[in-house]
Amino acid sequence: MKSIQTPDNDEHLRAVLRGWVVDTPLPPRFQDQVWQRITRTEIRLQPGFWGSLIRLVEVALPRPKIALSYVATLLVLGVAAGSMTAQVRSSHVNADLGARYVQSLDPYRADTSQP
Amino acid sequence: MKKGGVILLLGLLLGAAAFAGFYYLGTAPCRNMMHEQQPELAWLKKEFNLSDADFARVTAMHDAYLPQCGKRCQVIGEQNAKLAELLTKDPTVTPEIESLLAERAKTRALCEAEMLKHFQEVSRAMPAEQGRRYLLWVQEQTVLRAQAMESRHKTDGGPQMMEEHHH
Repeated sequence: MKSIQTPDNDEHLRAVLRGWVVDTPLPPRFQDQVWQRITRTEIRLQPGFWGSLIRLVEVALPRPKIALSYVATLLVLGVAAGSMTAQVRSSHVNADLGARYVQSLDPYRADTSQP
Repeated sequence: MKKGGVILLLGLLLGAAAFAGFYYLGTAPCRNMMHEQQPELAWLKKEFNLSDADFARVTAMHDAYLPQCGKRCQVIGEQNAKLAELLTKDPTVTPEIESLLAERAKTRALCEAEMLKHFQEVSRAMPAEQGRRYLLWVQEQTVLRAQAMESRHKTDGGPQMMEEHHH
């Protein structure tokens, strides 16, 4: 059920609040207890690794500069890793074919290094 | 979260695509060689920068050499079988076994000599500099490899083996 806030109601509420006097005494060490509760709540709300990551994705990643840097970094990493892996694979294949060439002519040789 | 997630995914996809693309391009020459009829000769062509004409000559020499090499291998195989048979009959080194060992060594030496001649012929069919490089490499891998084994034997196991003999 929605309460409709009109200027009249607002004025009435203000009047009531102005007339409201709290005469109950606060319990002992009330302020300390409030601060302790605040501290406990803050500790509970501190995000873990995944929370931080999600927050990073939510908040930092949509910023254009960060998004561009992130995409460019992954692109460069992909290119470098792809090229290096291809180089390693190619050198293995070359060594293997060199060995096959030698073995085709000299069956006594089991292993061969590249020229 | 939605926009950040899309950027996260886009970055990962682009990185993976870059990896796959560069790996594919980088290994394309090797893949092409492996699809050739004689991949080891395709490798030789690439490794020693042979022209099509040089490669045709080298391939012809290679194909002509292999049947002769096969015949010599067959002779060595027969000698090995005969040696095994003689050793089964008599565990001592008889004059017949000695003669067979000498005969086999001779066939092996002939095999190596013919192989060396083939390598030299192939090296002459290549451009001069590549031919020299080929000959050095192929000799190291074949006839000179025994020397490498001997020197390793001397340095690694030699003294230890000598001590074992003395004890």
